[in-house]
Amino acid sequence: MQPPPSLAHVSVANLAKNYGPIAAVRNVSFELAPGEIFGLLGQNGAGKTTTIECLLGLQHPDAGQITINGINVLTEPMRARQRVGAQLQSAALQDKITPLEALQLFASFYAKPADTAQLLGQFELTGKARAPFASLSGGQKQRLFLALALVNDPKILILDEPTAGLDPQARRELHGIIANFKTAGRTILLCTHNLDEASTLCDRIGILHQGRLIANATPTELIARARTSPRVAFCTTRPLDAASIASLPGVTSHAPHSGGWQVNTTDVNRTISGLTRILEATGNEMLDLHILRPTLEDVFIELTGQAWAEDSAENKA
Amino acid sequence: MSAGSTLSGLVHHFLLSLKLNFRSLQALVYGYLVPVFFLLAFGSVFRSDIPPLLFQMGQLLTISILGGACFGLPTALVAERERGVWRRYRLLPVPTGSLVASTLLVRFIIIGSAAVLQIALARLAYHTPLPAHLGQIFVAFLFVGFAFLGLGLLIAALANGVPAVQALGQCLFLPMIMIGGVGVPLAVLPEWAQRVAGFMPGRYAVDLLQRCFTNPNGLQGASFSMIALVVIGTAAGCAGLKLFRWESGRRVSRTTWVWLGIALLAWFAVGLTATATGRLDPVLPDAIAYETITDQQIDQITYDGLPGDNELVTRMSPPFKPNAMPVRAREFANQLKAWSLSYASDPGQAVRNLISVAAVADIGADLREAEIGRVVFDELQARYERRQLCHILTWIILRPNDGQAIIRVPELRLRRNLSEQMVRERGVLYAKKYLGRLLRKLPD
Repeated sequence: MQPPPSLAHVSVANLAKNYGPIAAVRNVSFELAPGEIFGLLGQNGAGKTTTIECLLGLQHPDAGQITINGINVLTEPMRARQRVGAQLQSAALQDKITPLEALQLFASFYAKPADTAQLLGQFELTGKARAPFASLSGGQKQRLFLALALVNDPKILILDEPTAGLDPQARRELHGIIANFKTAGRTILLCTHNLDEASTLCDRIGILHQGRLIANATPTELIARARTSPRVAFCTTRPLDAASIASLPGVTSHAPHSGGWQVNTTDVNRTISGLTRILEATGNEMLDLHILRPTLEDVFIELTGQAWAEDSAENKA
Repeated sequence: MSAGSTLSGLVHHFLLSLKLNFRSLQALVYGYLVPVFFLLAFGSVFRSDIPPLLFQMGQLLTISILGGACFGLPTALVAERERGVWRRYRLLPVPTGSLVASTLLVRFIIIGSAAVLQIALARLAYHTPLPAHLGQIFVAFLFVGFAFLGLGLLIAALANGVPAVQALGQCLFLPMIMIGGVGVPLAVLPEWAQRVAGFMPGRYAVDLLQRCFTNPNGLQGASFSMIALVVIGTAAGCAGLKLFRWESGRRVSRTTWVWLGIALLAWFAVGLTATATGRLDPVLPDAIAYETITDQQIDQITYDGLPGDNELVTRMSPPFKPNAMPVRAREFANQLKAWSLSYASDPGQAVRNLISVAAVADIGADLREAEIGRVVFDELQARYERRQLCHILTWIILRPNDGQAIIRVPELRLRRNLSEQMVRERGVLYAKKYLGRLLRKLPD
């Protein structure tokens, strides 16, 4: 459900941005309600970074309107930037600067900065406060950038691929931190191409593809809309032949999978019952069984695959 | 955002950038070790001059400022841009210009401290005199730094990477070193190169800085050099700011050529103005200048219309009788013998300085003016061989605007500040009186 515009912290309407002949963002509209995490999903080149840069007033769009807490970003970019905290992809700091110095530097530009010592503690960087930036691990650097995004104690956070290039443990740590941002009442726009991250953290997800916003809903709504049928994957002690698998109730397609089979079915219960009957009749035994429901990845591939196919057809035409 | 927090942020940025510079070994090597290396290189060549290195300090400082501004500044800026540091700065709620200004100020301090180091080390290692005008050298440094930092900013905006900074920097550095009067002195360059140098900021930078060391009048009369540097620095700085790039990966656009054209136009405007106003006349090495005077030129000097020795202008006492020199004249003669500027390493300039003393006393209506005119003549004859003196005096008569003219000599109690042009004109009259006497074409 879309929040009423009057309550939205961030509103983007009909945004368009071209780089010469290339349309990076085409007629994109979305809104962020107070306290929600909105995920902007898309592959590289989908237009996520351009959308973010327009939001931060770093790029001037060719068309559209952007407001943050009622401030028109296009006419008052500096004022809007004061109210937003941001972490940009591929930003860095000088090798010799320390986290403490970086926080103090960035905080000094704001009238009411956050407490730098508290930020260091919050992001578990107190022990590294005086270490050179170059000596920090990837996770520590990302935590520092998130801390820098909070130096002005913003209510709105824009995070561009915050976990890119991190190992799983560091990624899990950052997920916890981002979830805490929401708990603290901040509104977050999270750009990512990590589907698990989006489905774990986001209240709503917008899917950008070739500059267009092709979906905007909660993860549950998106999955419910998926046309992909559920799958059942299983393994037995003795192999089953393809004809037996094809004859199972509800099965629409089947394929070998990890020494067993994976089938697409219209009725999971009937397919599993049929499979059990065959196994009992032949004295075979089930070793492993998984029910695979449609995921965000299925939705993403489904949606972007269609869009890509349409564009290709247009191009060919 | 309040102006207070903007200022606080910029002060923080300035101090931290300065601190980070001193943490970087590379920055220290390029910022301080290279200037010291240049000092040693110059010192090894000019250490036997009297005084050592004094007449090369303008060039030496210009090379350091040029290196710091055209290599140090853009290398640091582009390296930070490549890393993504400026991409993060870009999120700050401050205008582009303020952060760039803070960065320029940091570089100004770095190259300024390197210049101070050079001056101090030159003093310690070679006994090079300190600048004659310590206050004015700061003013000269402001103008030179402004021009070169503007160029450095433009290089940073144009370069797509650190290697490109080196290439673009060399495009400025090498021509100025070789034919711009910065590395090779103007007087040694062929005439065409001297004219080309008039289109480059290096020539004006050396002029301003060198004046603070050796020109008794300091920066007085150097307004054209100041204006030239301001014009070149403003055009380059505006272009650099307009083309400033926050992040890497963005190619140079068509407007780049327009702004680059504007920056180069400033060089042409300065060069053409200098040509049109006669500022690019060939500069001859002083030592050679008077030696090129021929006997024929000496013979062609006329003495018509010279004021008499007792008239209001160019008064001159008759020769002092042996052992009967007035006390006041004797005191002055002793002071003149101890006056350091009369011992300039170049005889042409030394004679010009002595004649300036007579001219200053005359224009300033000093009570001793007639005696000073005579004491100077006696001193010249005592110090120089007749033929050499005739050549130098003829050179002063034919080239009144060459070399330096002294407009006040407080150490000889000639304290009035006079017009340089008047001193030069009056100096020509004294030179004619002295030459006429040496050649016995005038009675003494």
